[in-house]
Amino acid sequence: MNEGEIIKYLRNRFGNKIRRTDICRDRRFYINVDSDCLKDVCKVIFRDLDARFITSIGVDERQYNGGFLVAHNFAFDSWKLLCSLQTNVDGDSPSVQSITDIVPASNWAEREFRDLLGIEPVGHIYPKRLVLPDGWPDGVYPLRKDFPYDSVPEGFDENRSFKFDDAPPGCVVVPFGPFHPTLDEPAHFRLYVEGEMVRGCEYRGFMAHRGIEKLGESVLTYNEIPMAAERICGICGCVHNVAYAQAVENAVGIMPPPRSEYIRTVMLELERLHSHLLWVGLACHISGFDTLFMHCFRIREPVMWIAEKISGNRKTYALCLIGGVRWDITEELNQELREVIGKLETSWREVVKAVEKDSNLQKRTRGVGIADKKLVKESALLGPVARAAGVPIDSRRDHPYAAYNRVEFDVVVSDFCDVWGRLIVRMYEVFESIKIIRQCLQKIEPGSIQAIITDEIPVGRFGMSSVEAPRGECHHFVITGENNRPRRWRVRAPTYQNLQGVPTMIKDQQLADMTLALASIDPCFSCTDRLETVDIKTGKVRVYSAKELETLFLWR
Amino acid sequence: MSFISKIRETLICLKAGRVTLPYPYQPRPAPEKFRGRPIFDASKCIGCAGCANNCPAREILVLDICQEIRILKYLGRRCTYCGRCADVCPENAITMGKDYETATNNIADIQQKLELFMSTCQRCGRCFKEPSPLEQLKLKGYRFDDLANERWIFKSKSYLDNFKVSDDIHIELD
Amino acid sequence: MEMMIKILSALTNVVIVLAVAPLIEGIMRKITARIQSRQGPPILQPYYDLMKLLIKEDIESGESPSMQRFSAIMAFASALTVVALLPLGFGYGLSSHTDIILTIYLLTFCGVCTLIAGLAAGSTYSLVGISREMMLMIPLEPILAVALIIAATNSGSFKLDAVLNGSIYNSPGIFPISSIIILVIILASFQAYAQRVPFDISEAETEIMDGPLVEYSGPKLALFKYSRMIRLVIYCALFIGLFVPWGSNLMFPFGFLIFWFKVLLLVLLVTVVAATHARYRIDQAINYFAIMLLVSFFALALASIGL
Repeated sequence: MNEGEIIKYLRNRFGNKIRRTDICRDRRFYINVDSDCLKDVCKVIFRDLDARFITSIGVDERQYNGGFLVAHNFAFDSWKLLCSLQTNVDGDSPSVQSITDIVPASNWAEREFRDLLGIEPVGHIYPKRLVLPDGWPDGVYPLRKDFPYDSVPEGFDENRSFKFDDAPPGCVVVPFGPFHPTLDEPAHFRLYVEGEMVRGCEYRGFMAHRGIEKLGESVLTYNEIPMAAERICGICGCVHNVAYAQAVENAVGIMPPPRSEYIRTVMLELERLHSHLLWVGLACHISGFDTLFMHCFRIREPVMWIAEKISGNRKTYALCLIGGVRWDITEELNQELREVIGKLETSWREVVKAVEKDSNLQKRTRGVGIADKKLVKESALLGPVARAAGVPIDSRRDHPYAAYNRVEFDVVVSDFCDVWGRLIVRMYEVFESIKIIRQCLQKIEPGSIQAIITDEIPVGRFGMSSVEAPRGECHHFVITGENNRPRRWRVRAPTYQNLQGVPTMIKDQQLADMTLALASIDPCFSCTDRLETVDIKTGKVRVYSAKELETLFLWR
Repeated sequence: MSFISKIRETLICLKAGRVTLPYPYQPRPAPEKFRGRPIFDASKCIGCAGCANNCPAREILVLDICQEIRILKYLGRRCTYCGRCADVCPENAITMGKDYETATNNIADIQQKLELFMSTCQRCGRCFKEPSPLEQLKLKGYRFDDLANERWIFKSKSYLDNFKVSDDIHIELD
Repeated sequence: MEMMIKILSALTNVVIVLAVAPLIEGIMRKITARIQSRQGPPILQPYYDLMKLLIKEDIESGESPSMQRFSAIMAFASALTVVALLPLGFGYGLSSHTDIILTIYLLTFCGVCTLIAGLAAGSTYSLVGISREMMLMIPLEPILAVALIIAATNSGSFKLDAVLNGSIYNSPGIFPISSIIILVIILASFQAYAQRVPFDISEAETEIMDGPLVEYSGPKLALFKYSRMIRLVIYCALFIGLFVPWGSNLMFPFGFLIFWFKVLLLVLLVTVVAATHARYRIDQAINYFAIMLLVSFFALALASIGL
């Protein structure tokens, strides 16, 4: 089906409850419905039309039309469409029907707009505070437009602490985090353990919350946001950079020149290479196999060197601007890149040959962290986790962007559903990335690398973009605004969805496997915790009154 | 068989050899396009503040002491070495250096302060030729960032405090 | 006079092992590094590590600090006592006055000190660590005991000097089947005695933050590390004495050198296996050792009927 047919189907079922539909270029469409039938339309889209849930977004539009906007984004992977289902909500006491009973994957997204914007999801199965710190006063919503980005709210209570749920009977509590040698970033998994078996888990995260979305709306401008977006994540930075630039380009119809699209593809695939190589090394390190960890890092190092030669930095490429890229790949760099890729391929083939038949490593990874097709569909799991369960979703093929519609590659799928399956998928995806880079280097067209933008960016346009990060699909949603900055920018990183599936993956498994199961989704907590405000750290300095200083100091 | 896999894994190292580099006992220079610490050339700078307005980290401060003198200060604290200042400078007065060993006890080693003599252009921003409408200067007029407390102030004025010409409009952009 | 020489040789044993055990650990780390294509630390690094730890402040940070001190000192002391009693390449020293029961007792006591260490620290991770250590000790100590008993059966005496001179092969039957079986078993479980991958489960750094030793730092940690290095030497010496003793009885320089050469070979084997394996989970390890234990009892049965 295409967009027109889907809209006709929905209009047949819901008549004039559908207020407005827009079909935009690049196979995206937006539907605005009445708030009371939002849940029914979601049910039809999710169950009957078999869409995949991406995220839910809340927008404060009170200064433009007096209310809030709630959007649920879905993807139709087999028909290559992205859709945003929106509804306008009353401004004074905003509430919307929760869709968590139909789409369990929207659990966190709805809690997030409840915490940050105050839009109450009525009927949510687990309405507990997710994002804001414990002492944050109720009734203060940081992402609303009337809350300045650098203010500390009154009534911040430093003594209020988090209330954990009760443990199931007969279980010992084993805290995992926030400080643990395996985790790079703080996250707290409270495991309920019986003997050596894990019976349940409660996750408490969002400790590395930096307020990037609020900064994007109030402080930074269009061309400065890619630098901030890149720092959402330490290892998939380029993805956020490109996804944001593409979302704005999608919103206003800027076409970046073909050469810049090829360059974006090459850098994205380079990033995928080093991320997967790092992950394989990390998985081996966690299972005690340090030799393979060292070899993976040794093989990965030339990728960092060539990235440094192309973009000036090993990891934060600072690649995109709206309408193009900043760095060019010259002839010599092209040659050098081909050599680096060639050597990488031979070394990696040796490693893969050695690891595939290794029964010692298989014993540690088979049957661990199982996520089957049903969990993938319900919790909208993404990336290698889904592909290892046999679900072939890949945004490079389903929602093509940059130069992916001009290169050929296979989507690697495995049926094991466990950590071993994810290991296999990631190892073979390295070969696919090498294939893509080779094709891009061959097909790259001469030309300029930056589109010439002559007009100011129009206000109030919507744009969406889905980019395949090494961990899954990364989705950015942008509403363009005044003063050279977006009105709303929402980032949904892949780990955000995958983490919601972790408690089910580690249930009834051994404690020793918990680290491995957690690491197998390749968690990037920095990607997950990137929302709302209050940057109390000394980065944003402002003069505080003595009382505020006291509160701050005690909280720290 | 697992045994053969293990032998294969042991032998990988023979082909690779020893890869440890002797840094820091031997220097390791950065490649050509490396984005290190930005270096400001005062002789080329025209004081347009394009770099200050387009710095994502707000690390370049601008202060007009009087009509003729503008101070541009680069604070090295949060600089992410993104290179936007160098991109946007109309006079190519900023180059990204090759310095990556910038640890120091004294932040003044990294900071750079330029004192610029401004001729009679009334700081209208016209000397800044922006590459695209997305880099427009939004603050046209006299700037008064707080150098003592190292804070960016999102305002500019059409007059300086001690040179108040008339009850003019207070330009507060952002 | 004889007694004086024996006591002197026991003390010499202690001095030699104190000097050499960190060097062996350094060689292991260097070889592991070369297998991993990197430079690795200098060979003398474990000496520097121990020295650094010994000069640090002794912080008390567990449930019962006096038990922590006790366990650290006892682990070190019991390991050194075993060293004093073993033959290490120049004659038998005090081993003619020791029997295998004392050896097994002291080695088990050293292991129990690690358990006490974890209990005294009292944190969640150390408790999980000692439960794993306990589960591992249950099959491991009997396997070693069985090996020593088979040697004792075949040599007719419980004294250590009679056991550790290759008499395990002196079975009355034609072919020493039980000895070969127990040799294979000990080889297959040697990694666990040496506390290296794939069986260093109780000290899994990435899973439970170093297990029983998580609350230890400074001099106490130095003593535990030292006792771990010494235990490796002890188990190597026991293995060599039991199964490959030929050549260690020669005249002073040659026997000594041949003994330490054999220790180095064994250490090389341990390193290569450790560098190329992933760590097993505790239940997989228990299954593995349960099978080993059953086979070793079978070998004991065979030895008792004279095969």
